[in-house]
Amino acid sequence: MPKLLLALLLLALAGCGPVQPPSARVLEGEAIDVVATIGMISDAVEQVGGDRVAVEGLMGPGIDPHLYKASEGDLRRLERADVIFYNGLHLEAKMADVLERIGERRATSAVTDAIPRNRLQSPPAFAGQYDPHVWFDVGLWMLAVEQIRDTLSELDPGSAALYRRNAAAYLVELERLDAYVREQASLIPERRRVIITAHDAFNYFGEAYGFEVRGLQGISTAAEAGAGDVQGLARFIAERRIPAIFVESSVSPRTIQAVREAVQARGFDVEIGGSLFSDAMGDPGTPEGTYVGMVRHNIDTIVEGLRG
Amino acid sequence: MLDLFDDYTLRTVALGSAALGITSGALGTFAVLRRQSLLGDAISHAALPGVAIAFLLTGSKAPLVLVAGAALAGFLGTLLVMAVTRTTRIKYDSALGIVLSVFFGFGLVLLTFIQRRPDASQAGLDRFLFGQAAGLLQRDLVTMAVLGGIALAAMLLVWKELKLLAFDPDYGASLGFPMRALDVLLTSLLVVAIVIGLQTVGVVLMAAMVIAPAAAARQWTDRLGLVVALAAAFGALAGVSGSVLSSEAARLPTGPTIVLCATAIVIVSLLGAGRRGLVWRALRGRRDRRRLRVAAVLADLLALEQQHPDAHRGHSAAVLSVMSGGALPSLQVLERRGHVQRLDEDEWALTEAGRTEAER
Amino acid sequence: MSEAAIEVTDLTVAYGEKPVLWDVDLEVPQGTLMAIVGPNGAGKTTLIRAILGMVKPAAGQALVHGKPYEEQRRRVAYVPQRGSVDWDFPTNVLDVVLMGRYGRLGWVRRPGGEDRAAAREALEQVGMSELAGRQISQLSGGQQQRVFLARALVQHADVYFMDEPFQGVDATTERAIVELLRELRTRGKTVVAVHHDLQTVQEYFDQVTLLNVRRIGSGPVGEVFTEENLRLTYGGRAALFGRNGA
Repeated sequence: MPKLLLALLLLALAGCGPVQPPSARVLEGEAIDVVATIGMISDAVEQVGGDRVAVEGLMGPGIDPHLYKASEGDLRRLERADVIFYNGLHLEAKMADVLERIGERRATSAVTDAIPRNRLQSPPAFAGQYDPHVWFDVGLWMLAVEQIRDTLSELDPGSAALYRRNAAAYLVELERLDAYVREQASLIPERRRVIITAHDAFNYFGEAYGFEVRGLQGISTAAEAGAGDVQGLARFIAERRIPAIFVESSVSPRTIQAVREAVQARGFDVEIGGSLFSDAMGDPGTPEGTYVGMVRHNIDTIVEGLRG
Repeated sequence: MLDLFDDYTLRTVALGSAALGITSGALGTFAVLRRQSLLGDAISHAALPGVAIAFLLTGSKAPLVLVAGAALAGFLGTLLVMAVTRTTRIKYDSALGIVLSVFFGFGLVLLTFIQRRPDASQAGLDRFLFGQAAGLLQRDLVTMAVLGGIALAAMLLVWKELKLLAFDPDYGASLGFPMRALDVLLTSLLVVAIVIGLQTVGVVLMAAMVIAPAAAARQWTDRLGLVVALAAAFGALAGVSGSVLSSEAARLPTGPTIVLCATAIVIVSLLGAGRRGLVWRALRGRRDRRRLRVAAVLADLLALEQQHPDAHRGHSAAVLSVMSGGALPSLQVLERRGHVQRLDEDEWALTEAGRTEAER
Repeated sequence: MSEAAIEVTDLTVAYGEKPVLWDVDLEVPQGTLMAIVGPNGAGKTTLIRAILGMVKPAAGQALVHGKPYEEQRRRVAYVPQRGSVDWDFPTNVLDVVLMGRYGRLGWVRRPGGEDRAAAREALEQVGMSELAGRQISQLSGGQQQRVFLARALVQHADVYFMDEPFQGVDATTERAIVELLRELRTRGKTVVAVHHDLQTVQEYFDQVTLLNVRRIGSGPVGEVFTEENLRLTYGGRAALFGRNGA
């Protein structure tokens, strides 16, 4: 009996690792089937994997990952995948169970695992949870890209060299993007550097590039904004005379419109500066449909709105 | 306190919630009186697929379009309930439950399907589940006020006909009024009341706003007009206080807070209201029982006196207690009233006045 | 002059396959009190509802003073069973009686002073004047019945349909109702009442209809209310369609 238990234990432990031995298909040189949750991850995987990967994204443009529930079709896609990349840190909140269960049978990787915890933010209102919107700090996102490179290499050691090369090239591009953002940000006068959006997606952006950030709904869109929150934000905007607030592509603009009306009632007119990409990218085929393009769009829109 | 209402957002949310409270409270009264309380729940849950389908068909996220879809679906739901009860052996509440679950489930499936569309999040259809009061805009207020006003005006117009419908539909039919058409009308008004509240309180909790104000109001008065008016007032009170409370506390969702306020009003009404209140009834019960005990002791004293050869002898409390337990407090009351006198430490006897009283 | 107040011909009502009334003929002469009598499920209430147009018959017709009910509404008053209503409803006695005026008022119009006066007069007739403001939840069975009667009286109808008016009322009320019926008869009105108490049929009514899905007999009480007929009406399920040859 003890031997049986030991055998079972070993068997269980064997299935416990985050990455499992590569499937036969992969070793034969066929493209790796990858399923990614948000578009930014899909994009990064494609950049690193090149022709070696066939990426299927679950959440397309305009889709809110905080609220997204996996459908039957999604489950089938996940089952078929060789590896699954997701953000982690509870971004895909309604898929937590699914990802956990799939993780026991398939290779899964949370791209934020590569980020040391001391570089993550934990807003006081949500004690115990980390803010998952790490991709807006390009520096942190570069760590995620490295995680992707390492995971792919482990899964498919044969192409490890290719992954290293692709990743290196992409990381250079990201370095340049980071520099661009900083440069553009400096065009906005100090006192106007406030980004106000529907939910707290931009904390990392603010931290990295020197902006004060306020979101109406907190770090998850699942939380309902209260009338008090709208009031408080409206007061803040009117007092600081902030010229523009922003809607997000994946969140209903109603609450921001409500904030705007509240600000107007206080005698100050604030513009809707434009739509920012927060939890999802733009349409595929457009520049905003890539990570780099999306970040550029964001900073350009922000600068345009706030510079005055 | 009043300067709270200087704030634009609070004013908007409070007004919207008040409008919803007034309409659903007033029209909900008829549903509650007709024992159709859960109809409100069925209608609001059935409205969900209507919102989704309206979005799918028109691609529009305009609240008016979505609300119209909600109304149509809610109305269809009630028609289905009526058809099912009429043509099958399924009872009314079972039919309600079935339609409610099927429609709501279908709505959830549609929402999951819709979420894959890029413009879905922008439409914010999810807000119809639990409401998003803070997202109320000026034009929403106008819509709510107009629709609510029309519904209330219609109710007032056919007031006596609705009274007939609620109290004695058979008699109404005999007078020549088209009771079935009136039933459809009342249900339609209820649908309107419900859908104007969906954006604030959401599909799941809206039933409470239909039932609670009416249930509370019924405790306070026995006149139909007052019940309806009071229900409207309670609905408004719940709406406004819910809005104020949720604006004071950070991150307190407005919809559920309004419902909690409505619930509090119901509890207070159940406990304290007039003759029907539980607290009052308990107090009155105690008082009546005490009266009975005092009268029993008095009667026992008279009986003992009549049986005993020495009519003016006193009797001990213990003896009396045997006859009707715990006689001492009653004896003290009787002494105060002058019906009994204390001859000695533990000897009690009737006075003249007491004897007369006992013989009555 | 002796046009029948009510004329029912070949009336058949079925719920799905099951017949509730089968081929019923009867005539109620004007100015009489007719009792409808029969076991449970015999179709007594259905008969009244069919005449009043609340139930659609599968066959046959019913005429009130020679015309269908829809054209005679003003002349007919209906007193439903007491149990068909929730007496916990928030309203008072006067308000219920006022409902009798709704037919005359038509849509939207609210009762006015004239209507209130008529209602009070009806309450006087049934001896309930002091209770005009009383909540109906606080009424006894007999008082409830009187309220319903007053509501019918206020319609100033020529024909009155009553469903078990004597059910569950105290002796005083019962006497009062009988008085009322007799007074109506004196004034040339016609009353058709579903009656539950066989003991009092002969005393209270002039005419009787024995019903058990089919009409067993109908006519003056003396002629029709026989032991033979009662046996036919109440004796087992003999009267259901199929087993009774005639």
